[in-house]
Amino acid sequence: MSNFLERPSVQPWARVKKSQQLELILASVLPTVIALFVVNVFGVHGAFGMITVFLPLQILAAGFVGVRRFGKKGFGDSLLLVSTISFAALVAVLLLSVLYSVIIKGFPALSAHFITQNNVYVSTTTSLEYGGVGHAILGTLLVVVLATLAAVPLGLAMAVFLTQSQSRLTGPVRSFTQALAGLPSIVSGLFILSILPFLGMERSGLAGAMALFPLMLPTVARVAEEALRLVPADLRMAALALGAPNYRAFFQVILPAAKSGVVTAVLLGLARIVGETAPLILTLNANVSTNLNPFEGGIAALPTYVYGFISSGYDTSLSRAWGAALVLVILVGILFGLARVFSRSKSLKTKSSSKKKGNK
Amino acid sequence: MNEISKTLAPQTRRKLKVKPTTTGDKVFSGVTSAAASIAFILVTLILIFLFIRAAPALQNQGIDFVFGSEWDPDGSGVMQIFPMIWGSIVIAALGVVFATPMAISTAYLIVFVMGKRASNIATTLVDLLAALPSVVLGLWGLWVFTPVGEGWGQILNQYFSWIPIFQVTDVAAGFRSSPFIAGWIVAIMIVPIITSVTREIFSQLDRDLIGGALALGGSKASIFRQIILPTCSRGITGGVLLGVGRALGETVAIFYVLDLSFEINWSKLLEPEGGAVASLILARFGEASSEEVSGLMAAGLVIFFITLIINFLANGIVARSKAGTR
Repeated sequence: MSNFLERPSVQPWARVKKSQQLELILASVLPTVIALFVVNVFGVHGAFGMITVFLPLQILAAGFVGVRRFGKKGFGDSLLLVSTISFAALVAVLLLSVLYSVIIKGFPALSAHFITQNNVYVSTTTSLEYGGVGHAILGTLLVVVLATLAAVPLGLAMAVFLTQSQSRLTGPVRSFTQALAGLPSIVSGLFILSILPFLGMERSGLAGAMALFPLMLPTVARVAEEALRLVPADLRMAALALGAPNYRAFFQVILPAAKSGVVTAVLLGLARIVGETAPLILTLNANVSTNLNPFEGGIAALPTYVYGFISSGYDTSLSRAWGAALVLVILVGILFGLARVFSRSKSLKTKSSSKKKGNK
Repeated sequence: MNEISKTLAPQTRRKLKVKPTTTGDKVFSGVTSAAASIAFILVTLILIFLFIRAAPALQNQGIDFVFGSEWDPDGSGVMQIFPMIWGSIVIAALGVVFATPMAISTAYLIVFVMGKRASNIATTLVDLLAALPSVVLGLWGLWVFTPVGEGWGQILNQYFSWIPIFQVTDVAAGFRSSPFIAGWIVAIMIVPIITSVTREIFSQLDRDLIGGALALGGSKASIFRQIILPTCSRGITGGVLLGVGRALGETVAIFYVLDLSFEINWSKLLEPEGGAVASLILARFGEASSEEVSGLMAAGLVIFFITLIINFLANGIVARSKAGTR
């Protein structure tokens, strides 16, 4: 499917000549070497200098090779390639920089007691040998699980409505779901805060979970809808034709068939909310000790823990923030990796079924 | 022929029963339709309750709440957020300017250049970028990116200060905490969403158009400029608008990399002062009196209203352009 723009070079069966290979290699290496040389010798400073020297050189080199091989239009092609690759590389550099600094700066703080102990006797200058994020991990899990308990069944039900209903309302329902997906997270926190007095509640773990619910719901609904859509309609029709009522057709035929997709939906929803910070700052009272009662008392969560330690100015608390950020990123990474595994098992299934069709 | 099909066709079509008959099905369809209305109910409830809590502030301040620029809830009780709204717009615009080329390039490479495996990996990485918690980006932005962005700002100011947007009032104050840096942080957050929308639009592009252009001797560059961009421009616009919505609502990361100021900063991108409505809420919330909380609720209402409109617009554009390319 992809790669179709890759035009065969005049004769696809002809091997690329040695001299052309050399040109390609030179064009991709030489600009970097020259740029490094110029920067080091003349002392043009920093990444900015590197880019101002390197980019024009790279464009020139690629343009030269392009013109040599394809004539005039080769220049535009190579210009396009160089510019798209450099922009995409910028994205990669930014992403890797975030991951790299979180890992490098968070790793020293990581230890067995850091992820099990709580923060009761910790001040901003306490050394890293004491205290940890255990209470925040538990708090995050509690709040997130509560939100999930509400968001998954409802999101699934929404997905069922969107895929099966013949009602004319599916259009509006979909656009409101998408609108909810764009809900700024701080507004979700403000909303829960504004209804707490009407419900007679205080800021608590439950309030935090309620603030996460509107953020998780649209993600679950959208991904689950895609998963349900992948189930062939024949399966449902066959079940209905055998006399199964709609709900049994769903629970015993469609849901098992879409299982991995639904699990992916749950995992992606979790990844969406596990790092949410602003709504939790508004709805949770901070706490340094472990609290697993969602109805009263302060509760700590990983994002609010990071938030609290970022700008205190002491090295130890900054290390704590990086450490907690690393734990958070690892959590997100695990959820994400699991989601990949499950969605891949789905694609494997569809692949094997298409193979069967091909064999016929 | 026509007559035969007429005689073969059943005279009267039996009406299909669509409505659920058994109790189980009634419950099932009831539950799913009730769940379907939750999105609508939530949006309405958010508007209503924010409005109830915001009403006192809105009543006091009137229309000046949106168009004035003074914030003194404890003294004179005046709360006006125009500098914050303008700051949000500036940062979102900067974010879009930085993010759009990155996103289009990435989507182009993923769909049209990379092999299947490489494009799978790239897609996962972009999605991972979307899942990075904003507090982590704030931490990174404050301690890792700010020194780098400061250097960029310095160079821009040094060589391009004849362009008004790169001027600063006081060079010695440094280039930290500027809208420029906040714009980069926001760009990182909205690249994934623009990329994924653009990628989808690109992959639904009619391949025959490109095949035809290749057969006519078109180059990749001309295909990109004259076929891919024009046919997909609507979808890309929708994706960018979705990004704008996300940028306007971004809170924690901006809170750390920007100095909020009620001196309105019209266009000086490198000046260490700016505004963001969502970050204002976070910054003031901790020590707010009940009057100020009402003002913050009103600010939340404003930002929600704006993002709601932008999101509806964006999703409409994306949906229509998807239907168009097919």
